[in-house]
Amino acid sequence: MSINRADFTRRDALKLAAGAAAAGLGMPWTLGSAIAQQSATLRAGISGFNVINTLDPMKATLIPEFYVIYGAFNALLKFNAKMELVPDLAESFKVVNPTTLEFKLRKGVKFQDGSDFTADDVKFTLERVTDEKNAAPNRGKVAAIETIQIADPYTIRLVTKAPFAPLLNYLTNTRTATQIVSRTALKSMGDEAFGRRPVGTGPYIVKDWKSGESLELVAFPGTFSGAPKIARVMCPLIAEESSGMTAILGNQLDLTSTAPFADIASLEKRPEVKVLKQAGLNTRYIALNNKKGPFSDIHFRRAVSMAFDRNVLVKAVLFGEGVAIPGVLPPALWADPKPVFGEYVTYNPERARAELAKSAYKAGTEATMLVWGSNWWHRMGEIVAGQANQVLGTKITLQATDFNTAYSRAKAGDYDAMVMGWLGFVDPDEYLGEIVGSKGFRNIHAYSSPKMDALLERGRTELDPAKRKAIYREADMLVSDELPVLPCFCSNIHNLLRPNVKGFVQLPYSNFADQFGGMEVG
Amino acid sequence: MPTINLGPASRRLGGVLLIAFLGAALVFFVMRAGHGDPALAALGDQATPEAIAAFHKRWGLDAPLVVQFWRWLSGALVGNFGMSMTVAGGVPIAGLIGSRLPNTLFIGFYAMAIAVAISLVAGTVSALYHGRFIDSAATGIAVLGISMPDFWLSYVLVYLLALGAGIFPSYGFVSPGDSLAGALYSGFLPAFAIAAPMAASFTRILRTALIDTLYRDHVRVARSLGYSGAFVFVHYVFRNALIPYVTVLGLQVRYLLGGTVVVERIFGIPGIGALLVDAAFGRDYGLVQACALTFLICVLIVNFLVDLLCAALNPRAT
Amino acid sequence: MRAFFANKLAVIGAAITGFVLLAVIAGPWVLPHSPTEADFLALLTPPSLAHPFGTDSFGRDVLTRILYGARVSLAVSVTGVFAAALVGSAAGLVSAYVGGWTAAVAMRISDLLFSFPSFVLALFLMVVLGFGVANIAVSIALIYLPLFARLARNMALVVKEEPWVQAAQLMGQSTFSILSREILPNIAAPLFVQIAIGIAFGIVIEAGLSFLGLGVQPPNPSLGTIMADGREYFQRAPWVLTLSGVAISIALLGLNLLSDGIRDIMDPKLRARL
Repeated sequence: MSINRADFTRRDALKLAAGAAAAGLGMPWTLGSAIAQQSATLRAGISGFNVINTLDPMKATLIPEFYVIYGAFNALLKFNAKMELVPDLAESFKVVNPTTLEFKLRKGVKFQDGSDFTADDVKFTLERVTDEKNAAPNRGKVAAIETIQIADPYTIRLVTKAPFAPLLNYLTNTRTATQIVSRTALKSMGDEAFGRRPVGTGPYIVKDWKSGESLELVAFPGTFSGAPKIARVMCPLIAEESSGMTAILGNQLDLTSTAPFADIASLEKRPEVKVLKQAGLNTRYIALNNKKGPFSDIHFRRAVSMAFDRNVLVKAVLFGEGVAIPGVLPPALWADPKPVFGEYVTYNPERARAELAKSAYKAGTEATMLVWGSNWWHRMGEIVAGQANQVLGTKITLQATDFNTAYSRAKAGDYDAMVMGWLGFVDPDEYLGEIVGSKGFRNIHAYSSPKMDALLERGRTELDPAKRKAIYREADMLVSDELPVLPCFCSNIHNLLRPNVKGFVQLPYSNFADQFGGMEVG
Repeated sequence: MPTINLGPASRRLGGVLLIAFLGAALVFFVMRAGHGDPALAALGDQATPEAIAAFHKRWGLDAPLVVQFWRWLSGALVGNFGMSMTVAGGVPIAGLIGSRLPNTLFIGFYAMAIAVAISLVAGTVSALYHGRFIDSAATGIAVLGISMPDFWLSYVLVYLLALGAGIFPSYGFVSPGDSLAGALYSGFLPAFAIAAPMAASFTRILRTALIDTLYRDHVRVARSLGYSGAFVFVHYVFRNALIPYVTVLGLQVRYLLGGTVVVERIFGIPGIGALLVDAAFGRDYGLVQACALTFLICVLIVNFLVDLLCAALNPRAT
Repeated sequence: MRAFFANKLAVIGAAITGFVLLAVIAGPWVLPHSPTEADFLALLTPPSLAHPFGTDSFGRDVLTRILYGARVSLAVSVTGVFAAALVGSAAGLVSAYVGGWTAAVAMRISDLLFSFPSFVLALFLMVVLGFGVANIAVSIALIYLPLFARLARNMALVVKEEPWVQAAQLMGQSTFSILSREILPNIAAPLFVQIAIGIAFGIVIEAGLSFLGLGVQPPNPSLGTIMADGREYFQRAPWVLTLSGVAISIALLGLNLLSDGIRDIMDPKLRARL
């Protein structure tokens, strides 16, 4: 089938004819509400997702929610294009002592409702997240803060009980909940209204939000980083990732937040789109129930882990758009190009069978793996289960379901194994601490290891970056040894742009609206 | 195809209300029997048990099921469907449905209009030229049309007419409230994808019904009395043939409203079908119930109208 | 029988359906590949002699998968529709001929099911019951149940007034024997037509659900899961979606022509009264 091959002359002729016909009928070429005309408007599609529950940073959990929050808010700090920590709403910061951070705040910053930004808003924001009554999902990230001292309206000190190394990363404009909200706006609007029309200091104001459909952002000329060049941004929410791709190919969009793995190679050859890609900050693995069933046996876990080829996963699931990983840390986190693969995370059918012999569970053992989400998640489960069954003679079957069912079953401990993954975290503690720490939020594995917990505790309190890195390396090696989860791969992140769109800097944590302020549509 | 006679209109209305009520109850209780929790959808992966408990309390999910149902029903009876829990946290459900329904109805009517237009022409022509080449050609195309599932046809249309030829937009939909011309233009491919299988089945029904009536006694009598062919066709044949045709049209609404779900997703049309999918996955109970009820009422209204229309077309019907 | 062979549509339809059935039943024996046998060195290779329909993202033979997938799709659809036809027709017949409050309640339940848009009903059931082959069959059965109930009831109401049925009643035949010997044979043809149409539509429902990711469990293929998979890499390997789409269209074409043909052959008098 040669549908894709560009047949320029014929296609252009048809376009002209259709254009003439439409003009004659008075048909507008503008595609009204969801997708609008070019020029003063940027059409930035949030593809692959269509659920946004809230735009309140304290309550947000989903990546598409943060896509928008990034552009409406600022945090004290942010990452620059080289992924270095730089001040944002803070003008500067210094480490007073291992438990005290001092921030000098920017002066003359206005919130989108016109009120002034001061240290009081910072205190309000952080206290709102740490307050147990608010049950903020990201509370753990700032719970270490014991007192917040306002020295003067533009100086604030954060004091922790013990040294807390991840804190600086947790004060950035990423998936952290520490984006600074306006106390006056929040108090006057109330939580729920604020969640739909948030008030931050960022370059774009959320003007309209049709649930499951689209968001309309308008420029906030008074933002401290300089008035944005694009007056209006339409963000349609596109459930089907492939529809996002056809939309940008058909010039219905200028930018997408993701792109289908399978199509990257062919999209890179097409003149009508530009593909941005890099190794992403994410991790994908098979979550295991360490408490019951065959995966409670370390030998069985190791046997299965050695029975599937991670490079095959990268090839067949991601179409080469990613790398195999031996633990849960993405190599991009510390620009670590060559992760070390220990014995138990290397494909070796013979060793796998020998390991199975040590296990209480033999060939013929039955287990169920839950798969959910789009097709590539299914493929991931299919390959792992298929190869394990082939090599070990086990009977791991797949069960497809939706994420809500899968996750609530996992939380209740009612599962054997399940495909899983997280995206967009910037600190190693968010990966290791939350996934395999015994009290981690994402530890649905009932895995609890004193050795791991001790390492994680050291990692949280160690302020020297080099030493900290060594600690997390060790913890990640422990993951490849004890295998509370089966590490699989880390995928590239992608954005598609029309060639006339300029100024979008892609960052590995899957950024989005934070770049709109500096963008232009040519 | 069968027509249903359920006696006087008042009894019919009572039946409609009863079915709407039973449908709502069915959806309510079945939905809750399944796995899943709206709190997980709303609070995400990091939700603490306390946060989940607070969420359940906030939305009254900690009350016994019967109490919850009564609360919902007493609100729904006065048109208050409450707020969305997860899909659009804190937004009134009635407003959500109100903004989505016009899009689904528009695409539905658009598809129906395309299907009716095609089938009236194709059905009439093939009946008049019964047994000749043009009839076989029309029948053949009709059968091909019904053999293309709508989502498969959608992809073919997007790649051929939108990305290939560049005639139609490949994605996106303009709400008819914003621009009727824009809606007609951007809605054409999805409407056509839904219409094609329907057009095919309508054509076949009309053709059969027309051929059937052409050979009936009263038509032969009218002809022998010297009325012109065209007069007889319009007044006797067509009118009678329309009864099964309209009945099938009504039956198709059941497929039409459901069939839009997949197509809405592919083309990004913000309709009720897409909303229902999101609501079901997000376990937004109130929204699922409201969407299901909306669909239910649409079907019931259409059935009612079809019965009225059939009665009007057929003077002998009781 | 002679009428059947005189009807071109029916013959073509039967031929296509026969071909599809033959391919689906015998094909997997003839073809050298297994539907789940992956070859990671031959991912997404275009159609060739070794793989006439190319390979998919696991390097599996697409033709083999389509034939196995069609088996699953057909089995799901046939099971669902036959269950609906059995239960629905029985309920319809009893309610038309015997009446009584149980029959009235059964018809009300059927009315209720009938008032839900078909795909919405299926989707809702899948989310609640969980995904999987059995639940798709249940969904299809529930969609078709009311249709068969209504069809059987309305036709039985007409046939019940016929002189030969009245005669059988006067002769003291039992209700069961009247239903099974006098009424059922006379309404069987439209039921068969509806079964053929239903099977075709059931295939579409299965495909639609799988397309949304709610369908058959991997690694078992169904036509819908193959299409859903093919859609994901359509740019790169258009043959997977295209050929599975064509396969589904051929299967539907056969069933539709066949049902058209049977409809044409059916007793024209009975048809006129419906």
